[in-house]
Amino acid sequence: MATGCAWFLVLVSVFLCNLMKILLPTISSFMVQKDADQESEMRSEIQQMKKEQSSISMMDEFARYARLERKINKTTDKLKTHGKTNTRSHADQFKWNIVKQAALMVSLIWKYYSDPVTVVPSKWIAPVERLVAFPTGVAGGVGITCWLVVCNKVITLGLGAIS
Amino acid sequence: MEAAEEKTGSVSAAQLRAEKRRRKLLQNSEDRMNRIVGFTKNDPDSSGRQAQQPRFHLDLDRTEPWSSSVPSPRPSPFLSETPGARLRLRTKGEEVSGSPRRGLQQYLSRFDDAMKLRSQLANEKPAQEGGSDVEELDPFRVFRLIGSILLAVFVRAFVCKYLSIFAPFLTLELAYMGLFKYFPKVEKKTKTTVLTAALLLSGIPAEVINRSMDTYRRMGDVFSDLCVYFFTFIITHEILSLFGSETP
Repeated sequence: MATGCAWFLVLVSVFLCNLMKILLPTISSFMVQKDADQESEMRSEIQQMKKEQSSISMMDEFARYARLERKINKTTDKLKTHGKTNTRSHADQFKWNIVKQAALMVSLIWKYYSDPVTVVPSKWIAPVERLVAFPTGVAGGVGITCWLVVCNKVITLGLGAIS
Repeated sequence: MEAAEEKTGSVSAAQLRAEKRRRKLLQNSEDRMNRIVGFTKNDPDSSGRQAQQPRFHLDLDRTEPWSSSVPSPRPSPFLSETPGARLRLRTKGEEVSGSPRRGLQQYLSRFDDAMKLRSQLANEKPAQEGGSDVEELDPFRVFRLIGSILLAVFVRAFVCKYLSIFAPFLTLELAYMGLFKYFPKVEKKTKTTVLTAALLLSGIPAEVINRSMDTYRRMGDVFSDLCVYFFTFIITHEILSLFGSETP
């Protein structure tokens, strides 16, 4: 049963990886849009405070002027760190995604290095049975590398057609 | 008093001569400059493109100052040359300057190509980043994929007990090669990539690159068909095994 499910497990893993690859830019752009809204809100707040500050005389209402000045500085700093954090987090997200996918592929190859994902009569896949069975060496077996390549290609075509 | 008058007269004559010499020098300044940098009036290539190699050597050991109001007694290097030597020097100069000029023009044209390709790559990069993994599915491609799927199911159901599964696939691909002309041709835009740009700049003709890319694209299509065919075959086999079908 475990061997019977191996091909399905690999197929699902490859499907999820490709799906993430397609959806991540969409999610990222959504997050960027959200961050952009927050940023524009902060900018308008800063502008409003600056406008208010310009209407106040520093001599007459020093306390209020200073309070506004402190608020403007605080919001400006928040805006700067907000921008830097978002850029870093989006870049990190992409990097982590690639690392996770690579780790998944490596773990699959490690697990099914010597076991084929499925077995068929060897005469069916003659004369390339050795290539198909690589690296298991089992006659008539379908090796993990061949199955990964095939699944990746098919899923890319399928998702490309859908999207 | 007479001596003073004579002196004044000779100074003014000297002044007049100096003035005349100065005017003469100013009149011929352009010719003199052209002779210095190597252009001559009768040279057909001297239409302002680039200077030929100078036909004299810079005299670093010269002790006399270059600028002097008194004309130097030394004869001009140009005038002292014999006509034959001048002709030999001129021919040699042309031969030597021909190949560097050609090389320079070649370099400049390659540089222009590199700049154009660079701007083209920069323009195509955003488009490629958006859809780099998505392959275009024209009608013939869709037909091929559906044909591969149907053949895989048919082969698994009826044919695989007799022969290898790849034999029907090869037959299918041969059929596709014949059927290709009956489908509308879709003009595929040649993408400028770093590889094609590097090949172009190496001097490989564009026609060769296009043909190679076309062949590579066809091989990619065959590989896609093979992947779809094999995938469908295995899935069909597993589904049939799940439903308890005996292996033929």
